[in-house]
Amino acid sequence: MTSETYDTDPRPSRMSNRFRALWTQENVITIIVSAIVAIAVVLPLITLVVSSFLVLDDLGFSTEWSFGNYVTIVTDPIIPKAFLNTLIICSGCTVLATFLGVSLAWTNARTNCPGRTWLEPFNLIPFFLSPFIGAIAWHNMGEPKTGLLNNFFRDIFGIEGHVINIDNIWGVIWVTGIFFAPLVYLFVVGSLRRMDPSLEDSARTTGAGLFRTTMTVTLPLVMPGILSGAIIVFVTSAGEFGVPFKLSAPYGWETLTTQIFTKAVGDDANHYLGATMAMALGAITVFLIWIQRRYIAPRSFETVTGKGFRPNVLDLGSWKWVAFGYNILFILVAVILPIISLLIVSLHPVWQGTIMLDKITGINYVKTLFFWREESIDAATNGIFNSLFLAFVGASISMVLALVVSYMIHRTKGFGSWLLDFLCVVPIGFPGIVLAMGVLVTYIQTPIYATLWILLLGYITRFFPYGQRNIASILLSISEELDQSSRMAGATWVTTMRRITIPLLKPGIFAGWILLFVIFVRELSISIMLYTDGTETLAVGVYYLTNYENEPLTAALSLAQTLLCLICMIAFRRLAGKEALSA
Amino acid sequence: MTSEDISSKYLQVRNLVKYFGDDKAVDNISFGIDEGAFLTLLGPSGCGKTTTLMSIAGLHTINSGAIEVGGLTYTEPSSSIFLPPEKRDIGMVFQSYAIWPHMTVTQNVAYPLEIRKLNKSEIDDRVAETLSLVDLTDMAEKNATQLSGGQQQRASLARAIVSNPRLLLFDEPLSNLDLKLREAMRVELKRIQNEVGITSIYVTHDQSEALVMSDEIIVMSKGNIEQSGEPVEIYSKPNNKYVSNFIGVANLLDAKVEKVTEDGSGEVTVQYGEMTARLPCRIGRGVHQGDEATLSVRPENVHVSRDKTSDSSIEGKVENVIFLGNHVDCRVNWGEYEWKVIAHPRDRLKEGEKIYLRFDSDHTLAVQQ
Repeated sequence: MTSETYDTDPRPSRMSNRFRALWTQENVITIIVSAIVAIAVVLPLITLVVSSFLVLDDLGFSTEWSFGNYVTIVTDPIIPKAFLNTLIICSGCTVLATFLGVSLAWTNARTNCPGRTWLEPFNLIPFFLSPFIGAIAWHNMGEPKTGLLNNFFRDIFGIEGHVINIDNIWGVIWVTGIFFAPLVYLFVVGSLRRMDPSLEDSARTTGAGLFRTTMTVTLPLVMPGILSGAIIVFVTSAGEFGVPFKLSAPYGWETLTTQIFTKAVGDDANHYLGATMAMALGAITVFLIWIQRRYIAPRSFETVTGKGFRPNVLDLGSWKWVAFGYNILFILVAVILPIISLLIVSLHPVWQGTIMLDKITGINYVKTLFFWREESIDAATNGIFNSLFLAFVGASISMVLALVVSYMIHRTKGFGSWLLDFLCVVPIGFPGIVLAMGVLVTYIQTPIYATLWILLLGYITRFFPYGQRNIASILLSISEELDQSSRMAGATWVTTMRRITIPLLKPGIFAGWILLFVIFVRELSISIMLYTDGTETLAVGVYYLTNYENEPLTAALSLAQTLLCLICMIAFRRLAGKEALSA
Repeated sequence: MTSEDISSKYLQVRNLVKYFGDDKAVDNISFGIDEGAFLTLLGPSGCGKTTTLMSIAGLHTINSGAIEVGGLTYTEPSSSIFLPPEKRDIGMVFQSYAIWPHMTVTQNVAYPLEIRKLNKSEIDDRVAETLSLVDLTDMAEKNATQLSGGQQQRASLARAIVSNPRLLLFDEPLSNLDLKLREAMRVELKRIQNEVGITSIYVTHDQSEALVMSDEIIVMSKGNIEQSGEPVEIYSKPNNKYVSNFIGVANLLDAKVEKVTEDGSGEVTVQYGEMTARLPCRIGRGVHQGDEATLSVRPENVHVSRDKTSDSSIEGKVENVIFLGNHVDCRVNWGEYEWKVIAHPRDRLKEGEKIYLRFDSDHTLAVQQ
């Protein structure tokens, strides 16, 4: 009976139905959003590649096609050294951040270290703060002559000279290392916490001791997470601009990012050379991210065999107080000391390295934050308004894009969804400064150049994948049948999104929004490439103050930015729960 | 079912073809059902039954063919007709129940009526009525997450029938429940479906569910329809070895058709090892004299005795006896074949003893291989 054919009588095709079939709400929105994402992501990268082959002549007026820029970055007196410095910083930062991140995650998740539950949020604070501000704070503490810590050691121990000098390449490694440690932490803590205890128990039954089990079973099982975290740290530190700009570049240690900035922005800017350096940096980071996604992420061992595990907690004996002290020490150097030093410095009219209680003043806050007062500084005032605007609008648009894109990748699954998935990974592979370079050369001759819109475009392009991942992880945990049953109940796609999908995703949407808000509020490396007079952002305001004004003013604005980030962090944890960021 | 039969039906699926990439999930199938009937699509996973259901729902687009319900064409690619799922006026119960966790039971059930823009008092009345029908009145204001599996199931059913749709679809709705609840819900589901009288299509891989609930069963495999018909017909007259094996338990033997008479009976020879027997049986559709066929005998139609009571009785050795209270499951070795036999406890079969098997020729069927 299956072989019987049925004569379908030719029916007149119904135009309304045909129209409806092609132009469903879902299809229209899908096409529009795909086009926007494709253009936003691909166009700057193409322009970047093209620009890198354009060589500016000596007068700086006309260009010709050649590999000249690539020759220059090899033969230039500074650039090869900057390249080497970048490699040293990235390697050092990766080692330090990985050690800190893994050890902290392990003590919090798997040992009986006292207070480990309340220590965790403090360990993660640097994730929400700006490394650039961290560099400024550590400069205030570790500068050889006026550094607070050096003065402290001189006063207490009577040491001549200085104990620490933060203003060099090691200082950069130190600051980036402690600020990026939470990245590694987040990559490993989830699998440490969810690990099936029987895996370790079976090692113990074969006679392996605690230490040996940790080294031969526990850590190898989370190795994919550790490697992923390490690669992300390497890539992030390669793209870090603020820290080397503050701590090493002024003292003779240039990096690729500071060189891209110096060469591509300023009076005798050479965008094409900047583009070429950005290409070199981008090639490295994309390669590493590709390795991570292609070879390391898929290897994550499925150690989760069900819910309700209580992972083995190792009894460290009296060593638990060592672990506790180590954890507190990290929080001290990464969070508490930097904030205190900013506070102390910001309360002085001029900073000379010693605390002068009789000179304490709030004038720096008046000048930087009280924008309605005459003496307020333009760059700071503009920065506050622009950053709040960019963060609010940018986070909102990004989350709308993220929502639609996630839906298309994980629900519609139709035409072009693999392409979208790919487009959502690409921006993560490029440091902000590289993408900003691409955005700059793409839009420099359009009306959006020198407006806030180019900044907004740069922000969204670079960071909307973070929001997308936030939503996708929740979307994957929600049964598709919840959407489908709404369609079956008679609701259109848009109504289903409004009444079912979005309400279910609400916590993820808000959490993603706040995360992006924080990222945008502290964003420096894109802003520094794209701002002009009047479109300064908060971080650019800090950059301006540290460059052209004094340390106390810088500290005041830095502290304000830090407080804003901390408030957002608390809101994020409330909304998203404590497991939200872990891989 | 012929094409003329289909064209008079309430629901018509004609020459449905659906590919996933290069894989043909549904291979040109046609069927139809009357208004108010309960049809089950039965088959193992990957047989195309869920794909067929999803195509009717509009959650999948089809490659060719046509689906029509009550004179309304849902989809027909050759005429570029595709009605989106929300325009099809279908109620659907999903495997995971898909009760929205951010709403109460009442809000869940009221949703289809709100979409249809009924006024408030009418919505309240219909929701209350439907909840009482599924026996969930006490749970009305509970959050969906506070319900047990069985209660979610009822809420899901209430939501599917509240708007009195043209068609009710069930996608393995009982597979997440435990055995006891599943058996109770079968009866309950069928009762409610009878009461509301909505034409229903039910997808399952559980043959006993299909036998209990359906007016008609379609057995599918690899994207094709193997057989369709009433439960009794499918059970007692399977078209082929596949259906016979899938529905219930059967002794399936390789057989050669020796004789076919006009009244549909005949004789086959079966040979396993050194044992050979010539057995009278019914001849299934499409089986001809001289064919290699499959002989299908249900265990309950095998009779045991210690004496040879018929010429066609065969002698075997009792291998395995499992006492199950009201009956005894046993295996009887005959040549290289092991018969599945259901015996009565008072027969007191003992392992190793010789026994005669006799087959009721009316319930012994030669089917296509």
